[in-house]
Amino acid sequence: MFLIECKCPNGMYCPLFKVDQMMEWSSRRSVVRMNGDKFRRFVKAPPRNYSVIVMFTALQPQRQCSVCRQANEEYQVLANSWRYSSAFSNKLFFTVVDYDEGADVFQQLNMNSAPTFMHFPAKGKPKRADTFDLQRIGFASEQLAKWIADRTDVQIRVFRPPNYSGTIALALLVSLVGGLLYLRRNNLEFIYNKTGWAMAALCVVFAMTSGQMWNHIRGPPYAHKNPQNGQVSYIHGSSQAQFVAESHIILLLNAAITMGMVLLNEAATSKGDVGKRRIICLVGLGLVVFFFSFLLSIFRSKYHGYPYR
Amino acid sequence: MKQPGWQSLLSFSILFLACLAGFSSRLFAVIRFESIIHEFDPWFNYRSTHHLTTNGFYEFLNWFDERAWYPLGRIVGGTVYPGLMVTAGLIHYVLNLLHITVHIRDVCVFLAPVFSGLTAISTFLLTRELWNQGAGLLAACFIAIVPGYISRSVAGSFDNEGIAIFALQFTYYLWVKSVKTGSVFWTIGCCLSYFYMVSAWGGYVFIINLIPLHVFVLLLMQRYSRRVYIAYSTFYIVGLVLSMQIPFVGFQPIRTSEHMAAAGVFALLQAYAFLQYLKDRLTRQEFQTLFFLGVSLAAGMVFLTVIYLTYTGLYVRLLTCYAKIHIPIIASVSEHQPTTWVSFFFDLHILVCTFPAGLWFCIKNINDERVFVALYAISAVYFAGVMVRLMLTLTPVVCMLSAVAFSSVFEHYMGDDTKREKPPEKAEEGLGPNIKSIVTMLMLMLLMMFAVHCTWVTSNAYSSPSVVLASYNHDGTRNILDDFREAYYWLRQNTDEHARVMSWWDYGYQIAGMANRTTLVDNNTWNNSHIALVGKAMSSNESAAYQIMRSLDVDYVLIIFGGVIGYSGDDINKFLWMVRIAEGEHPKDIRESDYFTPQGEFRVDKAGSPTLLNCLMYKMSYYRFGEMQVRRGALTPPGFDRTRNAEIGNKDIKFKHLEEAFTSEHWLVRIYKVKKLDNREPLDHKLRSVVPKQKYTSKKVPLMLGGEFALQVWRDSFRFS
Repeated sequence: MFLIECKCPNGMYCPLFKVDQMMEWSSRRSVVRMNGDKFRRFVKAPPRNYSVIVMFTALQPQRQCSVCRQANEEYQVLANSWRYSSAFSNKLFFTVVDYDEGADVFQQLNMNSAPTFMHFPAKGKPKRADTFDLQRIGFASEQLAKWIADRTDVQIRVFRPPNYSGTIALALLVSLVGGLLYLRRNNLEFIYNKTGWAMAALCVVFAMTSGQMWNHIRGPPYAHKNPQNGQVSYIHGSSQAQFVAESHIILLLNAAITMGMVLLNEAATSKGDVGKRRIICLVGLGLVVFFFSFLLSIFRSKYHGYPYR
Repeated sequence: MKQPGWQSLLSFSILFLACLAGFSSRLFAVIRFESIIHEFDPWFNYRSTHHLTTNGFYEFLNWFDERAWYPLGRIVGGTVYPGLMVTAGLIHYVLNLLHITVHIRDVCVFLAPVFSGLTAISTFLLTRELWNQGAGLLAACFIAIVPGYISRSVAGSFDNEGIAIFALQFTYYLWVKSVKTGSVFWTIGCCLSYFYMVSAWGGYVFIINLIPLHVFVLLLMQRYSRRVYIAYSTFYIVGLVLSMQIPFVGFQPIRTSEHMAAAGVFALLQAYAFLQYLKDRLTRQEFQTLFFLGVSLAAGMVFLTVIYLTYTGLYVRLLTCYAKIHIPIIASVSEHQPTTWVSFFFDLHILVCTFPAGLWFCIKNINDERVFVALYAISAVYFAGVMVRLMLTLTPVVCMLSAVAFSSVFEHYMGDDTKREKPPEKAEEGLGPNIKSIVTMLMLMLLMMFAVHCTWVTSNAYSSPSVVLASYNHDGTRNILDDFREAYYWLRQNTDEHARVMSWWDYGYQIAGMANRTTLVDNNTWNNSHIALVGKAMSSNESAAYQIMRSLDVDYVLIIFGGVIGYSGDDINKFLWMVRIAEGEHPKDIRESDYFTPQGEFRVDKAGSPTLLNCLMYKMSYYRFGEMQVRRGALTPPGFDRTRNAEIGNKDIKFKHLEEAFTSEHWLVRIYKVKKLDNREPLDHKLRSVVPKQKYTSKKVPLMLGGEFALQVWRDSFRFS
């Protein structure tokens, strides 16, 4: 067979041995860590009968590459799905090269951005399509699996470890509420407290009108830092999108205006000292007028062509 | 304002003016352009209404439209909410009965503004029940001009939502009224209004979940009363039976999970009422045993139902929700996106900041009907956050609650202390006329800004018919671009009556409505694979596309191209969605990545991917565009696309199977004719006529020989050609 008959250049890493070595490593860890030396022997050197997926990345904390960390998580999910699937074989291996362990590999491949995913096919050199298009498709493991199926004909069904954080949060909330009810079991009057319920209702309303649902679905960045001059902008320039920080600002503004309206009403209806009520009234009016004009100016900055500048 | 007569005259005239303002602020499009149906879906509604008025109601219910979704056709009568068409048809019928001859198109165009006036009235009634007359009047004024509602109800936008919001508000008014009075009369009125809502819009699901929620919360708050029992029991039964009369709804109310909450609350209410009844009749001891028995039985029942639902309906439902997120055709519709704060502010302006205050006042002074409005606000604001389109259901409640907030402020600050009938007590006095008038002035100023904003938004954002485009020159004069109608009219006049036109699904309704030709796909996107086939034809190369078009019997292909005038909603900009939808069904043939450059950009110039530069859509869009110099300064080269600001990459486009049939004035619409199959290629040389040897043969044989010989020659030529 091909495996036995081949001539090994240095005697030791003949494909038979190479693939065994790779199998042994990947049975220990689903993603094999490589340095420059290993990379050249197991991935670059030609006699090979297995495909290798390599993630070039920079995971060291001093590199400050947050994308690398997210990509790494997705990559681990994918590699684990492959490692523990029934179709696991010695046809495909997942490896990683960190910049701080194999900077020479990066130079050799003329690579200047991380993370990058590359596929090294069993035969021939990697082509253009063997570099994963991270910019366009993103690095979700499902997309990676699709790309791998495209390049190697190996189908991987991505199995994500179930996310328990939501359940735990719910359980915590339920136990908290239950505990509160238990502690206050002698006096359940607070359930009938209108202020509490009104507060809760307003929280929902403010969260929705400031676009938290949009944040939840789209996942925008918190704020944008201009790489040239280091200026941080909290307001997104376009009317089609928003930052998380921006939506928080809007939430506060909306709440302030509402509070102003409520205070105006309080000032007129409450029975108390006249001076105090006057102050409350003026504070309420100030809140409404000032924060509404502030809100309007933010809106104008986003909505170009809004009249009466 | 001392006599009630003055008060009601004032209320009446304010309400009337609000209706008038609402009606007239929706007429921007009619005044600027003409009385024309807008956009896409209204064209289908208009076509159906036209069918209804010409062929009668029963014919409409049985209508099978063979002009859509060729070759499948569409059962229209059973797949539409007929309320809109029937309303328009009825108005048309009544007007004609009175010898007021109006074209059905004008009825359709002005239906939504008229109904917005009715919405203002029903909002006034509902708010008056919830708070007081003043708040009601403010709410009517708000809803008359608020952009969130105008967006769906300008003149010419002949769509379900235009009449549905009126039905929604009126149903809620009657519901609140029936909870307040406990009278079957009001409840039956509520059911009839609900029936109208079901016949008009799929959003009736919101009502059938909100009313049970109201009843459920009332039970939780121990506000159960006979009135609630009568109102809900009647409403559920009569409303259920009525809603099942609509063919499109059919048996859904007893089958699908959206309607299960209503049934559950109905059962709960009966059980609760029964327990209340027993409580009066039995001793305490007996009641307790019975109560525990009943509770355990009910718990068991609920448990079983939940298990049943999980294994049948609910599970499937969750799966379909998943599919909704991941099918590209649903993701491609911009209305199905979540809402940013900007769109909230754009559609509601000051109201979005003040309606929480109204909610606060309502919860602080709670009663049965204010529970309802609080639930309405919270659920509507949640749905509006999830989907831009549902801003429409949020708008009425925002108007009502903002009116509550503003009216309670005005109530305290506008009144003049000195002219009161009974002298105010010391403690109540004191804020002083100065502060009061400052507050009043500033609040009025805010409302004035709101009115200005509403007018600006209505005039600029929501009053474009999108069938007719307008552009403005530097000196302010206006150019009307009427390319769409020009092209559709060309189709109507110059093509065979049964010609089949292929286009992207956005234009299906317009082609059917204006050109009266058969379409392959349209805006009723019920068959994804058919759409994917059209997408595949558009994104394949010409010969592959020709095979698809042959198999679908396509005669003409219509595309929208904005490169000459810089119109951004054209087919090249939508093209990636076509590729994506096609890829979803035909992953082997179409790949999205093929249409990008190696850098992952979508470009139409020389650097663009060769697959893109040779696909049918690209070729049809840019055919002969390379010869054209768009006049925009002298510097632009020929073939410069103004929409994408690039010089096109493939200027030498030749067609083999298509030919250009029509291009509109500004190149906005281009129509291509699909050629029939060519004749077989003629032979290279003539058949040799062989002179038969007559010497030794009978008369029959030479013919045969000649025939054989000719056959031989033909075979040879075939082999070598």
